[in-house]
Amino acid sequence: MSDERFLEISQVVKAYPNPFGEDIAVVDGFDLKIRKGEVISVIGHSGCGKSTVLTMVAGLNEITSGGIIVDGKEVSEPGPDRAVVFQAPCLLPWMTAYENVMLGVNRSYHHEPKSVRKQIVEYALSAVGLAEAMSKRPHEMSGGMQQRVGIARAIALKPKVLLLDEPFGRLDSLTRMELQDVILELLDRERITTMIITHDPDEAVFMSDRICMMTNGPGARVGELMDIEFERPRDRKEILGTDQFFEYRRRLIQFLDECEHEKEIRRELKAGPQATKDEPPSQTSEPNPESKTESRLAV
Amino acid sequence: MSEKTPEKIKYRILRFLDVTGFTVFDPVVRLAFREEPRKQIESITKFLVVPTLFVALCVGLWWVVAPNHKTKSGEVPTPNIVFSSALINDTFSEREKTKESDFLLSGDARVQALQEVDTLMSELEAELATLKSTLTEQESLYKASLASQIDPIEEKLDALKAENRQARTDRSQSIEALSLEVASGRAPNSELVEAIRKDNELYAAGRQAENVFKDQIEAIRSDKFKPLETARLDVNAVADEIQFLKKRQAFLSDSNRSVKLEQTKDKLAAQDGKLADADDAKAVLKEAKSLVRLENGVERLETQQYASAMTIYLQIKRSLFTVFVGFLMAAAIAIPIGILCGLNKIAMACLTPIISIFKPVSPVVWLLIFQIIVGAFFPDPETHPFFLFFDSIPFINSLGINPALIFSACTVAMCAVWPALVNTALGVSSIDRDHLNVARVLRLGFWDRLTKIIIPSSLPLVFAGLRISLGVGWMVLIAAEALSSSDGLGKFVWDEYQNGSSFSFANIIYACFVVGLIGFLLDRMMIVFQRLVSFDRSESTV
Repeated sequence: MSDERFLEISQVVKAYPNPFGEDIAVVDGFDLKIRKGEVISVIGHSGCGKSTVLTMVAGLNEITSGGIIVDGKEVSEPGPDRAVVFQAPCLLPWMTAYENVMLGVNRSYHHEPKSVRKQIVEYALSAVGLAEAMSKRPHEMSGGMQQRVGIARAIALKPKVLLLDEPFGRLDSLTRMELQDVILELLDRERITTMIITHDPDEAVFMSDRICMMTNGPGARVGELMDIEFERPRDRKEILGTDQFFEYRRRLIQFLDECEHEKEIRRELKAGPQATKDEPPSQTSEPNPESKTESRLAV
Repeated sequence: MSEKTPEKIKYRILRFLDVTGFTVFDPVVRLAFREEPRKQIESITKFLVVPTLFVALCVGLWWVVAPNHKTKSGEVPTPNIVFSSALINDTFSEREKTKESDFLLSGDARVQALQEVDTLMSELEAELATLKSTLTEQESLYKASLASQIDPIEEKLDALKAENRQARTDRSQSIEALSLEVASGRAPNSELVEAIRKDNELYAAGRQAENVFKDQIEAIRSDKFKPLETARLDVNAVADEIQFLKKRQAFLSDSNRSVKLEQTKDKLAAQDGKLADADDAKAVLKEAKSLVRLENGVERLETQQYASAMTIYLQIKRSLFTVFVGFLMAAAIAIPIGILCGLNKIAMACLTPIISIFKPVSPVVWLLIFQIIVGAFFPDPETHPFFLFFDSIPFINSLGINPALIFSACTVAMCAVWPALVNTALGVSSIDRDHLNVARVLRLGFWDRLTKIIIPSSLPLVFAGLRISLGVGWMVLIAAEALSSSDGLGKFVWDEYQNGSSFSFANIIYACFVVGLIGFLLDRMMIVFQRLVSFDRSESTV
C-alpha cells in the first residue's frame, strides 16, 4: 500500500431521490487522493456537499456510486479507524469527560488491561488540555472545552484518519484560535492523516498541507487543489504576517467568488427558457446568503 | 471555596426544595437567611398566604354548606366530624395494637398487666356509675323542661281539636238536614253541593290550625338539649373504654397465648397418664389419637399470631403493597417493550393497534377479567404450589400473598402499563441523532448502545411515564379494591358504605383525604426520581 494514496476517494457520487424528477446528485464525481500523514482542508460554500463527502468517508452516509478506500480497505460502514469530530461536540450528557472518552476506548482496546485504557484516556484528555477537568460533566464545561473532549475522544482511538466536520463552527473566534493550536500541536506530534471541513479560508490555510476547493452543488466536485508550503510546526504570528499567506488566501477567495459567479450565471440560464421546468429543490441549489457574508468577513 | 457556611446551607436547602418540587417554600428559606426580605415577603403573600386563605375559604364553605344537606346516612359531615373520625380510627388501631401485645404477653408481665387493667377497670366503673347518674338526672331535667314547654301548647292543641270536632259534627248534622230538604224538593241541589264544599274547606282549615301547634311541639322535641347530649356521649365513651378493657382482660387471661399454651400442655401431660393407664386396644388407640391432637395444638399455639382487625393503617399498608406489586409488574412489562417499540418501527406498528384498543378499557372490566382468570389459575389457593412457594420464603410469607392481591395487582398493572410503555417508546425513538452517530463511529455493540446511550438518554421520559403510571395505578387500585373487596383502602371505603354507622360518612370522607394524600406523596416521590435521573439538570444530588 503506497502512502501516496492512503485515503483515496474516487468518482464518488451522492444522489438523493427527488420524487418529482431525476435524482439530485449533490456530489458528482468527487476525486481526491490523500497522502499518509497529510492534513487536507476541504473548503467550499455552505451547502456544496463538503460535509456529505466527510460523512461518506466516515461511513455514516451511503455512497451512491464510486468508492472510498482507506489504507487499502474500502469504506462500507463507520468504524473507529476513522474518528469523527462533529460540529456539535455530541458528548453524552450523563457521562463525565473521562467516561465519554472511555466509551470509545473500552470498545477499541477491549483486549488491553484496564490500567492501559485508563492511561490512554488520561493521555488523550491531557493532550487537549483537560487534565484538570476529567471528572466534569458536559453541562459544567464551556463549548470550547466540550469540543476538546470531542477531539480527545477521537484521537484516543488512534485512528488512521481523523475527520473534522467544521469542528470550530460553533465557537467564538478566540476559542476557535485556541482549538486550532491544540489540533495543530496534536497533529504535529501524532501525524494523523486528517481531513478538515471548513468554510473559513484563514483556518484552511493555517492548518492544512493542501486545500481542496469544492465547486458549488448540486453536482459538486473538486475544483482546484492548492499546496500550502509552510513548514511545520507552524506559528500563527509568523505565518499570518507573510505575503505567501495572503497570496494563498487571495487565491482561495478568488475561487470561491468564481464559484458564486458561475452559480449566478447558471441560475440566469435556468430562469430563461425553461424556468418552470424541473426546478431542483431550493435547499441544494440556492446559495446561502449568510454563508457568503460569513466567508467574506472571515477574510 | 470562599463560600461561607450559612450560604452553603441555604443553597443546600434550596436545592432540596427544587428537587422535591416544593419551590413554593423557596422564599421562606430565603427570608430566614435575610435575603431581600421585602421581595420574599411579597412572594410569600402571593404564593403561600393567598392560596392558604383560599383553601381555608373552601373548608369554611364546606363547614357551612354540609349540614344543610340531609342524606339517608345522616348529615353531610363537617370538617370537625371528619377529623374526629380520623381520631377514632387512630384509637381503634392503637387498641388493636394493645390487644395484640396483650395476647402475646406471658409470665409476670402478663400478671402485672392484668392487675393494671383490673384497677383501671374498677376506676372506670365507678366513673361510669357517676356518669350514668348524671345522665338520668339530665334526662329527667330534659323531660321536665320539655314538659314545661310542650304542655301549654298541647293543651291549646287539645282545645282546638275538640272545638274542630264539635264544629264538624255540627256541620254534618246541618248537611244531613239539608239533604233531606233537597230530596223533598224544597231546596235546590246547588245549595247542598255548596254546603259540602264549604264543610271540606273548613275541615282543612281546622287541620292546618292544628298542624301549626304540632309543628311547634315537633320543633321543641327536635331541639337538642346540650347537657343531655354531652352526658350521653360521656357515658358512651366510658362504656366503650370498659368494653375495651374487658377485651384486654380476656386477652390477658383466658385468651392469652401463654395461658392457652399452658392449659394445653397440662392436658397433654394428663393425656400421657391416660395413655399409660389404658389397657384394651380400643382405648389405647383413642387416647393416642387425642395425644397427637393435643401435640398438634401445642405446636399451633406456639406460633399463633394475633388476628388483628383491619385498621385503616393496615389497609393503607396493604394498598401500598398492592400498588407497588402492580406498578413493578407494569414497569417490568412496559420498559422492555417500550424500548423495543422505540428501536424498531415494525414492533411499534405491531403494538400500536393493541395499545390503542386496550388503553381506553375501563379498569372495572380488567378487574372482572383478572378475577376470573386468576380464580381459574388457583382453584384452591391453600394448596397451590405458587402460594406455598411464597409462604416458604421467610420474609415474603408475612406479606400475605393471595389471589385477591394478585388480581388487584394485575388490574393495576394492566391500567398502568400504557403510559409507561408509550413514554418509553417515545423516549427511545427521540434520541438525539448525534448520539447515535457517535455510537456508530465508535462501533458500540448493541448492548453498549442500549445501556450507555439509549437507556440513559430516554430515562427522563421513562420516569415521566412511570410517574403517570403510578398515579393511574393508585387510582385504579382503590376502585378495584372497593369492587372486589380485597383488602385495602378501597375495601375500607366500601365497608363503611355498607355498614352505615353514624360515622360511616365521615369515615368515607376521611378515607378520601387519605387516598389523596398518599397519591400526592407517591407522585412527589416519582418527581424526585425523575429529577435525579434527568441529566440536563445540574447536580441534582442533594
